[in-house]
Amino acid sequence: MTRDRTSAGVAWLKGYTITYLVFIYLPVLLLPIFSFNDSIYVALPMKGLTLQWWREMIAQEGMHAAFSNSISVALPVAFLSTAMGLCAAKALTGSRLPFSGLLTSLFALPLVIPFIILGIALLIGFNRIGIGLSLYTVGIGHVLICLPFSLFVLLSRFDGFDRSLEEAALDLGETPWMTFWRVTFPIVLPGVIASLLLTFTISFDEFLLAFFLTGSKSTLPLYIFSQLRFPAKLPAVLALGSTVLIGTFILVAIAERLRRQEGGTRS
Amino acid sequence: MSVGRMPQQGFVGISGVSKLFGKVAAVDDVSLDVGRGEFFALLGPSGCGKTTLLRMLGGFEIPTLGEISIDGEPMAAVPPYRRPVNMVFQSYAIFPHLNVFQNIAFGLRKDGLSRAQLSQRVGEALALIRLEGYGERAAHELSGGQRQRVALARALVKKPKVLLLDEPLGALDKKLREHMQIELRDLQKALGITFLFVTHDQEEALTMSDRIAVMSAGKVVEVGPPQQLYAAPRTRFVAEFIGTMNFFEGRMLGWEQGLPMIETERLGAIAATTAAAELSPGETVTVALRPESIHVEARNPGPATAGLAGTVSKLAYLGDRTHAYVKVEGSDKLVLAALPSTRALAAIAGGQQAPVTLSWSPASVIVLKGPR
Repeated sequence: MTRDRTSAGVAWLKGYTITYLVFIYLPVLLLPIFSFNDSIYVALPMKGLTLQWWREMIAQEGMHAAFSNSISVALPVAFLSTAMGLCAAKALTGSRLPFSGLLTSLFALPLVIPFIILGIALLIGFNRIGIGLSLYTVGIGHVLICLPFSLFVLLSRFDGFDRSLEEAALDLGETPWMTFWRVTFPIVLPGVIASLLLTFTISFDEFLLAFFLTGSKSTLPLYIFSQLRFPAKLPAVLALGSTVLIGTFILVAIAERLRRQEGGTRS
Repeated sequence: MSVGRMPQQGFVGISGVSKLFGKVAAVDDVSLDVGRGEFFALLGPSGCGKTTLLRMLGGFEIPTLGEISIDGEPMAAVPPYRRPVNMVFQSYAIFPHLNVFQNIAFGLRKDGLSRAQLSQRVGEALALIRLEGYGERAAHELSGGQRQRVALARALVKKPKVLLLDEPLGALDKKLREHMQIELRDLQKALGITFLFVTHDQEEALTMSDRIAVMSAGKVVEVGPPQQLYAAPRTRFVAEFIGTMNFFEGRMLGWEQGLPMIETERLGAIAATTAAAELSPGETVTVALRPESIHVEARNPGPATAGLAGTVSKLAYLGDRTHAYVKVEGSDKLVLAALPSTRALAAIAGGQQAPVTLSWSPASVIVLKGPR
């Protein structure tokens, strides 16, 4: 009897899970599917297969500029926020820091401030101090929102890190600086790489802050948004969107794998 | 074991050292001298400050008060990476991203050795811990005992003046621990390096050390060779902490033929040979007797002839020996006597409730000052 009830429950859960997955992934899957559709309208039934939109996407000059703008923001943002996250994570997991719990919460706070509010606040702030809007201001905004992600990825890597490993290195004659590079850094390296990939992705995909803080140059998400005004360009945007989707998916998958990698921190 | 060799005093000098964490004194005005080449143990229950003291020697904690010197050099301003000491950590702290060879070679980077010299030094260290051919093993492929050896080799390859060991055998199982006790002892004797180790295990301290400092609540209670601390403790704490002990309250009667006589409520007047000379008649004392010092004989029912009459209340079989808890007339507290199991059957033929006579030699009676 209990067995019947359990299998009924399992069947129900199975159905729920499938619905859940379809709900998440079907809309996203429409992007790559319709990017091959031989029509400028996104509508079923599909008219036929074509690579025209992908060719068009690759040929767009504005897209190239936006793409390279995004990269030149995302790369420094990834390195800067990861470096800051690394220092913060090391300090927060050290035993000597007072109020480390409070500080962790404070560092995480940007995550719960709506980006639109953050964007307006930064815009007002930059105007007040007299900093002109440019890709640099976008970068500053992105570091702000990437830092909590970097911090949490690295905190989970530092968690369970045996402090006596650092003491052992000091004991064996290495200075604190060399101890960091010979012991601490190699052990948390998978976390550092995960953080780099994750923060790069966040900055690369971010729209709202970039919208508020950029000057004359646009990043890729801004470019995509601007293209949506022209119906004829929609299929090329779908192709571009698919490319970004796949790239992001790969990076985040690698980051998550590295973050979870076991065995590194145990001595 | 011999107590004969007197170590050279003051190779490691600890004078008036205290360490405060907030308002709590983890180490409270400790002064100790450890001789060159000595195997010295800091023994005490957890939280007694022994590890904090060891960490101050390694340079990981700064004394709030007092001074530490090693081979005549004051250590106050010397950071851990410039001290002539190395440490074997309780967790062993084997670097997980390096293999065995790289772990052992870690501290030799600055010595400017050629590749050949480096592998020779590491090879010697591996031979010392009998792990030849393990150089390429990854850290996670090692067993607990092997990790312990690698940690030891990694520290010894630096040729420290003093090797600090923090509960070095705590993580090993009993068989391996007993084996490593002997091995560590032999290694120390062969190398002649001063070993200073921390343990809460009294048996370990007794087996390995030349001298032991027993610590309690941040203070050093007593320092001495194992035999002295076991056979003639001067404090109630040491008498209680090391081994098992029967305690009886008593009062000093006086001296009889050079032997102190002590009146106890339960044992009657007894003689001792080891009482401190400063005891004066009328003073309150505690008499301590090791369970194995108490001789148990079967007694025919009736009045006792010599010694103390009692009846066996409980028996605990411990394999090699048997513990007999004996009820003595006029007392609720049971007297614990330990006897070889092979003898237990003959002595306590009747098992529980068997009438027995307890006796001991005056030489085994320990007299401690004060009731506590």
